[in-house]
Amino acid sequence: MLTKLLKNEIKATGRIFLPLYGALLILTIVTKLALTFGAPDFFSDNVATNPFMEVVIGISFTLYFIAVVALSVMTLVMIIQRFYKNLFTDEGYLMFSLPVKTWELVISKLLVGLMWSAVCTLMFVVSFFILSLGSFTMMDLTQGISAAYTDYSNTFGASLNVLIFEIIIFGIVSTVASILMIYVSIAIGQLFNQHRIVASFGAYIVITIAIQIISSIVMAVFAISNLDTVISQGNDIQAMEMMHWIINVSTFLNVILCGAFYFATQYIMKNRLNLE
Amino acid sequence: MTILNAKNLTKTFGKKTALAQIDLDIPRGRIIGLLGPNGSGKSTFIKLATGLLVPTAGEITIDGVAPGVDTKSKTSYLSERTYLNGWMRVNELLAFFEDFYQDFNRIKAENMLKDLNINPNDRLKTMSKGTKEKVQLILVMSRSAELYLLDEPIGGVDPAARDYILNTIITNYKEDASVIISTHLIADIEQILDDIVFISNGEITLTSSVDEIRETHNQSVDGLFREVFKC
Repeated sequence: MLTKLLKNEIKATGRIFLPLYGALLILTIVTKLALTFGAPDFFSDNVATNPFMEVVIGISFTLYFIAVVALSVMTLVMIIQRFYKNLFTDEGYLMFSLPVKTWELVISKLLVGLMWSAVCTLMFVVSFFILSLGSFTMMDLTQGISAAYTDYSNTFGASLNVLIFEIIIFGIVSTVASILMIYVSIAIGQLFNQHRIVASFGAYIVITIAIQIISSIVMAVFAISNLDTVISQGNDIQAMEMMHWIINVSTFLNVILCGAFYFATQYIMKNRLNLE
Repeated sequence: MTILNAKNLTKTFGKKTALAQIDLDIPRGRIIGLLGPNGSGKSTFIKLATGLLVPTAGEITIDGVAPGVDTKSKTSYLSERTYLNGWMRVNELLAFFEDFYQDFNRIKAENMLKDLNINPNDRLKTMSKGTKEKVQLILVMSRSAELYLLDEPIGGVDPAARDYILNTIITNYKEDASVIISTHLIADIEQILDDIVFISNGEITLTSSVDEIRETHNQSVDGLFREVFKC
């Protein structure tokens, strides 16, 4: 049943996202063409173009910028709207009477939300790549990367892969946590009989403050217990160790948050559902 | 054989009691009218049966099992709200129901749509409220469920369609299935009911077969309802 829910969720969201991705790609190409023909030296410093091309480039850059912002905002809006509207307004009557488990409803929304977040990031990377084509060669890119690796291992005596891996894990876990935080806020909001959206925002703010307090305490405890390193700045290797420590502890805290948000959301949906 | 059983079923919302210690036994193969004034607890009862709400105390079972995935696959629920989203076409909705409910009969649904002149390629967004309700009822009645829970099924549709819908209800359910219809439009549905349950302020005030009412009270269900719930 989870696959059926996923299929339905992708269908419901894809009809919004696919045209937006298409628009982004078209605007990227248009901007790139305008740059190539109108200002071939754009990425070097001596920009010399005629006024007409300047206007064309200005317009296409503005539209491109709008598309990037719209896509980012839309991803967030869809994550909120699919959870709130599809489950807690009239549509919820249908979704909650389907022969599926409550956790399947939560997970299907979460996975599809994550998927679009990832696709959105990928689209930005592809788009920036297209825009910057010609300003560097593949050789530059591979040389740059291998230089970074050598540099890192010379300074810290370790592979850069470890750090990159830790950062990617942190990125995924914190994205899941931020989506689940939205879900739990919406679920808490619907416990109220009136002003549910306001209550959801309130819940979100309260959770944010609570997390701030907890993470400040954790960081303070850490700073005090490692006072020597923090004050003397230590050497590069110690600083990098601290960096690893901060990333991994943040990941760990986010995993705990994910668990707490997920189970709270599921509990409310299962036992305290109160559709309007 | 019992299809639905409620024991000491209680539901409170904060300080407000919506249902108070209800005991009810619904046998298979009957059409039951759940009748009561607005706010008497009809919808709450049906939502408890569908698993949309969880009882505060007591229990409710469908075919011996508490509401869950198993009971949801054999109960067909028509909510009082139009729960269909606007962006889908009727065709896509049929596919959705076919996907999630194994007992959904697409051909039956398509025939009913044709009878009511609803174009399967139309989007829900473009339809009137009454048409949406018809689509919803067609979807719900095209399943061969064991229990149908219809919350105000005829509230928004015109009298001509009302007859068609009632006819649909009585001709579409399996012999050993039961239909619970909650409504306050009693006169319209009286002729199809086997049994009635009167509910008032969260309590059941009368359960009886329609024949019994005609014999003992010598009046129609509608007449009795007006007498019992006189303001």
